[in-house]
Amino acid sequence: MTTHHDVIIVGAGLAGGILAGVLAEGGRSVLLLERGRALAYSEIPGDHLRNHRLSLYGDNTTPESHGHPRVFVDPAGGEHSVLPHDSRYQLNAFTVGGGARVWGMQAWRFHPDDFRMATRYGVPAGSSLADWPIGYADLEPFYERAEHEIGVAGDHSGTTHAPRTRDFPLPPVSRSPSAEWLARGADRLGWRTVTPPLAVNTRPYQSRGACIQCAQCIGFACPTDAKNGSHNTLLPRALATGRCTLVTRAHASRVLTDTTGRAVGVEYFAPTTVDSATVERRTAHAHTVIVSSGAIESARLLQLSASPLQPHGLGNHSDHLGRHVQGHDYPIAYGLLPPDVEQSFLGPGVSVATTHFNHGNPGVIGGAMLANDFVKLPLIFWRQSLPPDTPRWGLANKRAMRDDFRRGIDVRGPVQEIPSPASRVTLDPSVRDTFGLPVARLSGTTHPETVRTAAFMRARAEEWLRASGADRIWSWPGEKKFSAGQHQAGTCRMSADPRDGVTDPFGRVHGHDNLFVCDGSLHVTNGGFNPALTIMALAFRTAEHILADQ
Amino acid sequence: MSLTPSQLTALRALLDRVIPADDFPGALAAGTDNYVLRQLATDCAEEASFLLLGLTQLDAEALARHGPDQTFATLLSPQQDALLADLAAARPATAWPAPRAASTWFHRLVDLAQEGFYADPANGGNHDAASWRMLGYEPGTTPKPTAP
Ligand SMILES: Cc1cc2nc3c(=O)[nH]c(=O)nc-3n(C[C@H](O)[C@H](O)[C@H](O)COP(=O)(O)OP(=O)(O)OC[C@H]3O[C@@H](n4cnc5c(N)ncnc54)[C@H](O)[C@@H]3O)c2cc1C
Ligand code: SF4
Repeated sequence: MTTHHDVIIVGAGLAGGILAGVLAEGGRSVLLLERGRALAYSEIPGDHLRNHRLSLYGDNTTPESHGHPRVFVDPAGGEHSVLPHDSRYQLNAFTVGGGARVWGMQAWRFHPDDFRMATRYGVPAGSSLADWPIGYADLEPFYERAEHEIGVAGDHSGTTHAPRTRDFPLPPVSRSPSAEWLARGADRLGWRTVTPPLAVNTRPYQSRGACIQCAQCIGFACPTDAKNGSHNTLLPRALATGRCTLVTRAHASRVLTDTTGRAVGVEYFAPTTVDSATVERRTAHAHTVIVSSGAIESARLLQLSASPLQPHGLGNHSDHLGRHVQGHDYPIAYGLLPPDVEQSFLGPGVSVATTHFNHGNPGVIGGAMLANDFVKLPLIFWRQSLPPDTPRWGLANKRAMRDDFRRGIDVRGPVQEIPSPASRVTLDPSVRDTFGLPVARLSGTTHPETVRTAAFMRARAEEWLRASGADRIWSWPGEKKFSAGQHQAGTCRMSADPRDGVTDPFGRVHGHDNLFVCDGSLHVTNGGFNPALTIMALAFRTAEHILADQ
Repeated sequence: MSLTPSQLTALRALLDRVIPADDFPGALAAGTDNYVLRQLATDCAEEASFLLLGLTQLDAEALARHGPDQTFATLLSPQQDALLADLAAARPATAWPAPRAASTWFHRLVDLAQEGFYADPANGGNHDAASWRMLGYEPGTTPKPTAP
């Protein structure tokens, strides 16, 4: 079976939904392929052992637990075939809406200097630190558009790290008493704080209801659909045009190119009928192809699509494809609140942050935004947040849970990673998925400069708790590790010169006029912030470019 | 894989010390034993033979320390706690399959017990949200969902 479209988009995640919305409203016929399903709220269980914050035995969105392993290479060279719920798999989420179906909604603009890290800091040995080929000003209008069309709640005058012109469409989340307590501590240190921007309906917006502040937010779907992403904004708009066809359970296996390098379509596997267990191979043809499958799968798909012209994968003429994998090192300082301050269990929970340490830190490169955490599940608290000398069992453990659950506080932040070319996604030579295709092989480790910056930020997090008056404070040293996960980025970095990256500054794969990548893969560096608003801004920008150009 | 009656008795006695009852229900009142049994038969089937072997070994430990007419379940609570603390510290009185196996085994059962006890009631080890009531935690996802 072969179909014809103006545009094929591979992946209906956060970026894919935006691309579909802008392109379909712009008059293009769109085929949107998504390997997961479109899940209703009731189909995403509130299981505390199987969700995207704690996936001990599975998660709540992955369509199939077997058949799609990845190979994780440990620092000693040991190879492990891992399933999606294993942290080594580096899963985001495979479902319509992607990670945003279950995300924490922090919707930060990057700092202007996040786009020029090499210029500001130089290039440390062994790293591939580089400037973006675009700057903050290029993205600013698209950040604004993402904030309004997706729906971000924020504090206009307080968000000072990145210049902005238009107010947020939604008022900021309210601050919990423990967040107020942290804000007072920061005042004492002379650190400015802000209520973090979150993509949440703090009041009804775009025909959906407001957040009811439940205590099961990050890692789970939202009971009132107040958790904003493309799945409840741009994707429905795309479908409403009648020009967008969404095919779920559709695994793209290859981007097809002709002898000149032009993309002609996509080959994919899909069930013969919607709920059938039998799959068939299909081909779809299009004028333009966009790969938007997340940084690991996008890099894998371009490698699976190797052609006589590009034997090492599309866009891999200069050996950047699949390299420079980044996520965020996430140092945490834990503490106990003093008896007169109670932890609140009103979600989402993140309501105080500081951008004081994103840049300009003595002796280290870059830095991180620091914020308090989301409302914690009891089991997550048991696993991660009890004071380190608490016995792990017996009455003493039970009493500590009872006493400390309402007193636990932590401060954490996404450290801007220093990319390394040795951190890679390649095709595994032996392990295959259920369709017989080589799976993603993940290898490499964080650059030592990342670990140094993380140690610096961990000390700042402790300092914040100390100045606030925490009763006890502790933290765990960081380590070098393969880092991608939910904030995966960097595998198809953009560059002005084809020798320096995989795509041009609009996400067009160098040497392939009508083939684009659009997701965190494009990020040259991943900012000291959660990455999704930048992914969204790039999606709006790439979609507008395609409308004007293709 | 099914447990022998003495393994089941040992498991329950162990869970009762890992999460004892006090003013609030402990593991047994919350049905955490059922959670562990279900995990042994499903998600943890690959670990089951090691975990069951440890339950048998637990009785051997009781016998080695307190004489032939004792099992783990018949010991007094302080004796049970002392024995478990020894296992946790990898100081067994009997031969385990590997040097640190006693400690690994005990900590794995502690993890299983705690995850059943503090997880959502639908997982079977937190009957009537006993642990959540103790902590004052509620997911709060009702009023009725309005999402599609
Ligand atoms: C629990 C959780 C909390 C998070 N919190 C935050 C936060 O607070 N702030 C923030 O900025 N970010 C957060 N993130 C990360 C955020 O969700 C991601 O950055 C974002 O979803 C990335 O968008 P994307 O479109 O690049 O990729 P995704 O959203 O991952 O979408 C990619 C899609 O492609 C599909 N796909 C992959 N391969 C194929 C194929 N071969 N064929 C067809 N389809 C395919 C996948 O199934 C997926 O749906 C969180 C993520 C999780 C899981
Ligand atoms: S805290 Fe609010 S946004 Fe988060 S899941 Fe609950 S209701 Fe939805």
